Order: sequence, then structure tokens, then C-alpha cells
Amino acid sequence: MSSENKKLKILSYVVFFMVLGAFAMVLFYAPIEQNMGIVQKVFFFHVSAAWIGMLAFLVAAVCGILYLTKKRMIFDPIAFSAVEIGLLFTAIANFSGMIWAKPIWNTWWTWDPRLTTMTIMAFTYIGYLLLRRGVDNPEKRARFGAVYAIIGFASVPLTFFSSRLLRTIHPTIFGGDTGDMAMTSAMYQTMAAGIVAFTVLFAALLWHRSILAAREMEIDALRAQTETLEFGEVQDD
Amino acid sequence: MKDWLHSVRTLVWKDLLQEWRSKDMLTAMFAFAILTLFIFNYAMELSPINRAEIAAGIIWVVVVFAGTLGLNRSFTAEQDQGCFDALVMAVPDVSAIYFGKMLTNWLVMLFVSVLIVPIYSLLYNQSLFNAGFLLVLVLGAWCYSAAGTLIAGMTVQTRMRDLLLPILLFPILMPVNMAVVKSASGILTAAPFEDVQAWLVLLAAYGIIVTTVSIMVFEYVIRE
Amino acid sequence: MTLAIRQVTKTFGQHRVLDALDLDVQQGELLCLLGRNGAGKTTLLKILAGLLKPEAGSIWLDDRVVNYSESNARHAIGLVMHQPFLYEHLTGIENLRFYARIYQKPEDDAALEKALIRVGMQRFGGKPVRAYSRGMKQRLTIARALLHNPRVLLLDEPYTGLDLQGSLLFNQLMLEQKQQGHIVIMTTHDLSHALPISSRFAFLARGRVVEDLTNGDLSLAYLEDWLAGRLAKPALEQQKEGA
Repeated sequence: MSSENKKLKILSYVVFFMVLGAFAMVLFYAPIEQNMGIVQKVFFFHVSAAWIGMLAFLVAAVCGILYLTKKRMIFDPIAFSAVEIGLLFTAIANFSGMIWAKPIWNTWWTWDPRLTTMTIMAFTYIGYLLLRRGVDNPEKRARFGAVYAIIGFASVPLTFFSSRLLRTIHPTIFGGDTGDMAMTSAMYQTMAAGIVAFTVLFAALLWHRSILAAREMEIDALRAQTETLEFGEVQDD
Repeated sequence: MKDWLHSVRTLVWKDLLQEWRSKDMLTAMFAFAILTLFIFNYAMELSPINRAEIAAGIIWVVVVFAGTLGLNRSFTAEQDQGCFDALVMAVPDVSAIYFGKMLTNWLVMLFVSVLIVPIYSLLYNQSLFNAGFLLVLVLGAWCYSAAGTLIAGMTVQTRMRDLLLPILLFPILMPVNMAVVKSASGILTAAPFEDVQAWLVLLAAYGIIVTTVSIMVFEYVIRE
Repeated sequence: MTLAIRQVTKTFGQHRVLDALDLDVQQGELLCLLGRNGAGKTTLLKILAGLLKPEAGSIWLDDRVVNYSESNARHAIGLVMHQPFLYEHLTGIENLRFYARIYQKPEDDAALEKALIRVGMQRFGGKPVRAYSRGMKQRLTIARALLHNPRVLLLDEPYTGLDLQGSLLFNQLMLEQKQQGHIVIMTTHDLSHALPISSRFAFLARGRVVEDLTNGDLSLAYLEDWLAGRLAKPALEQQKEGA
């Protein structure tokens, strides 16, 4: 097995145990929160998943910039994988957010600025994937993906500030806040452990998925080559 | 710099002339706008007090949807006739092409707004001739055009074209939607200025950031 | 004035379309590029026009590397491609006015009329391009390309859509370009029309110029035989021959 694959394999095992460890911490180490009860534990995954959603977007945007400036094809599968994974984690974050919100504030949706921003980000991710679907030329696909990742990422802070501004001006309409939660140091540690574990998980998933995406693109390129035979043309070696 | 401005002016002239001649984009946008206004009337029975709050939202919805129609069309000529190549060879810098298109789209949206505002005022018996309100529309249209021109430059080259533009554009435009509707309705309902001010600042920030980013990346949209 | 193409390489994905291509064209020459579909003729023209960037190699004009980010360099080049570059809703004369304006050339009615007369389109200048036939559009796009008086003219299948009269008119225009000392590079499959005006024929295969034929009174039959023979050979063999 090549050294790259070996490193990835080791990383995958490490990640497995880290996530298992973080999960154990959430279940057994972190105390049950006094106001919200056991459902509060969803919060740890919610935060970690949301963090990964943001990180993935940043990675995609950075890869976008790198692709446009360096023109090296390797950045495209990485960006694409980051978006896919980011979409997954954003969905997890939103879903866990809803699971957490319903028993506590009796509403599925709070117009919490972070939640709102995450949801809009999810739509941007979906847009990114659809945009790539609509372009046949691989070079153009990479270029457009890069551009959209960049402009999408640039709009995230603006979306966040707008959502927050909306909230501060009309506080009565919306649901509660994380301020309701009493956090002990054990909880902070658990949260940190969760974030670290998820970050390493993200790195491993990204690595796996990027390799897969790069191979898929190679196959598509080869397939395209064999298909471009002109009428009457002999295929040269 | 002089050359750059000259080419931007020429591009805007050409686009406006094209649109004026074809008239389909303008008539479609206008018809759509009127239709939407009527539907809103049927949909919402509004007391005069509520109307003041809702007016901004209604106008902006109309302008946004009509604007999307316009954006979709703004690049089809270049795309179908291959004119991008000719323009790239002629202009001093690719950013001139972006700016020219962006200005054209902005002017067209303003044109639609200018037509819609009096008609709304007439139909709903509520004057929207408020300098602050119109300023918000002008700023909002700029932000919309800045982001929309960049995205439309891409979607026109995809297989799904018109269908893809709203999907890509609306998440990016969320801050603009919020800011325009909130500040405009704040102005119309004579809300305290501090509230409105924050939104205006946000709108201005959006305009600057998105225009700058777009100018930097637009060349990758039309050049290989 | 010499246009020198030095070691130009262009790859699309895994496919190397142009491979360290070398080619020189002198002033007053009309070079006819021949080759199979997909041989890289259009790609080469696009690189010369500054629309594509090669991975390696450079283009020289007058012993200086062409810097395509400079307007002056790009304004020295004129391009005619398969797509007409025309705005359908504007009239012929308005299209010309747009291009004249953007190249900062005279845009008064007299100058534009002259441009239309050159391509025999003076009666149709006031009609929208939407109403033009393919041949008329081709004539107008040629007028558009010549409007800013480029020193290097690049044409991809310029005879497409032109009737016999249009083709003869085009040939006349190309002879004028040669007389003015301009460089013309054109791709075509229409040998019978290209023969009277071409100074040289270059055959492109596997990303290189494999054979260069100077037109010193060639007959059409000879040229057609030569081309058919070249096209029939597998490209690899051709490249070995030409190296």
C-alpha cells in the first residue's frame, strides 16, 4: 500500500476513536443541564456540525481562489468534496438545532441569526452543486465552482449581520437564546472535544472524498477522449 | 482610465439600444410587475396602517422578480452570438465588460421601479414619493445588479440557464432583501433613524464588497 | 513585420492539442492553415487572438513578445470566427458604429458607409441583423473585423455562408490586405477559393506544423491531392515525417 493510502488509513482509525471518545464524553462526562434536561446534549453535536459547515465553506472558497490563481486542477475536487461534506454537516446542524429547539422553546424554527445563516449557506451549497451539474466542460466547471464558492463565502458574513440586525430590532418575535443554558467547565471541555473530533473527522472525510472525486474526474476525462472520434478518423494509438 | 470609462459608456449604450429595440425584456418585466401588484391586492386586504409597512416588501418583490427576468436576458445576446470574444479583444480590461453590464442591469431595474412606484401609489392610494425610499431602491438595485451580473454571466453558459439563476442568486442576495425591505419600510413608517441607518450601512457595505469581489473574479467567468 | 509563433503548447485536460508548435508568417503573406477537424487550427487562432493562454511558448510580433493584456497589442488583431459577433436587434450600421466606437475609430456615417460598401452591404445597413441571411452576416462580420484596420487578421472558415460573389469579394479584400503588408492567417476547407490568394499552406497534425507548402503557382488538382494524401495518413506517421 502506498504511503499516502497508509497515512489515510491511520488517520481514519484515529478519527474513529476520537469521535467515539467525544461521543462518550457527551453521554457520560458532561453533566445534565439543569434547565433543558438531557435534550441539551444534542447541542454539542449541533455546535460541532455547524462549525464544520462553516469550515467546509472556507475550505471551498480558499480552494476556489487557489484554483483561479494557480490554475492547478487538484483544487477542484477538494473544493467540490468540501462543499458536499459541508452540506451534509450543515444539514446535521440544522436538524439537530430543530430537535433541540422543539422541546425547549416549543417551536421547530427560531430565527436565530446563526441558524438562519446556516440555512442560507446550505442553499448556497446546493446552488454550487447544481451549478457544477449544469456545466459539461470540466475546466469551465472548476472555474465557475471557484467563482461561486468565493462570492458565496463573501456573502456569509453579510447574511449573518443582516440576520443579527433583524433580531436585535425585533427581539420579541423570536425564540430563546443559548444564554438560557448554564454551562459548566465539563461542558466546555466536552464541547471542545466534540469540535476537535469533528474537525479531524472532516479532514479525513475530505481526504477520502477528494481522492474519489479526483478519480471520478479522471475517468470522465478518459471517457470523453475516447468519445471524440471524428467521422472517418482512425483512432491514433 | 479614460479608455476604460469610454468602453463602459459604449457598452451601456449598446445594451440599452439593444433592449430598447427588442422591447421584449422591458415589456415582459413591466407586465410581470403589474400582474404581481394586482395579485398582491387580491391576496392581502390591508388597512392603510399595514399598507405602509408592507409597501416596501411588495415593491421590492416586484422589482426583484422583474430584475431576474432582465438579468437572464442580459447575457443571451453575447452568449448566443459569441460576442464575448469580440468584446474581450476590444476593451481595455475585462472589468469594463462587467461594469457595463452591471450598469445596464441597474438602469433597467431603476426604470422598472420608476414605472412601478407611481402605479402602486395610484392603485393603493399611498404615495411612495419619498426621497429616502427611492434612495433605498437605488441602492438595492445596485447591490442586486452587482451580484446578479456576476451570477448571470455564469448561468447563461450552463445547460439550465434561466432556471439556475434564481437558485444561485437568492441565497447570495438575502442580506439585500432584508436590508431593503427593512430600511424602506422603516422610512415609510417614519421609524427612528438609528434603526434605518444600520440597514443602510449594511446595504452600502454589501454593494462595495460584492462589486469589488465581482470585478476581481468576473474575468474568470468569460475567459478560459 | 514578422509574426513568430514559438514552441506553443496547449493542453485541454489530458489532450495535448498543440505541441511545441513553431510557425513564422511574414508581412504581406496569407497563410492557409489546413488539417483535420480537431487538429488545433481554431485553438491556434484563439491563442493568436489572445483568447486562450498557452501553457508554454510565446507569440512574437516585430521581434517583441506580444503582451495580450495591453490594448495596443489586441487592437492590432482582427478576428473572424464561426460565430458572427453581431447584435441581432441592432442594424448593420449600428453594429459597425458600436465596434468603431469601442475601438475608438471614426464612427461618422461616411466612414461606416465606406465599410459597408467594401463588403457590398450598403443597401442593407439600415436593417436589423436579425433579418440578415447567413451570407449577409458573414459579410458584415468581415467588415466588422476590418474596421479597426488590424495588422494581423485571423479568420476561421471565412467562406462559410458566402455565395460565389461574396467569396470573390472576400478574396479581393484579402489581396488588399496582403498589399498593405498585413498578415492574414486563415483556416478553410474551401481550397478552390483559397488557392488564388494563399501565399503558403501549412498542414497541422498532432499539434504541430507537419508540412509547409509555398504557393508558387500550384494547381488546384495538385493541392487537393496533397491534402487528401495528408489527411489519409495516420497522424503519428505524419508527425514523424514532419519532424
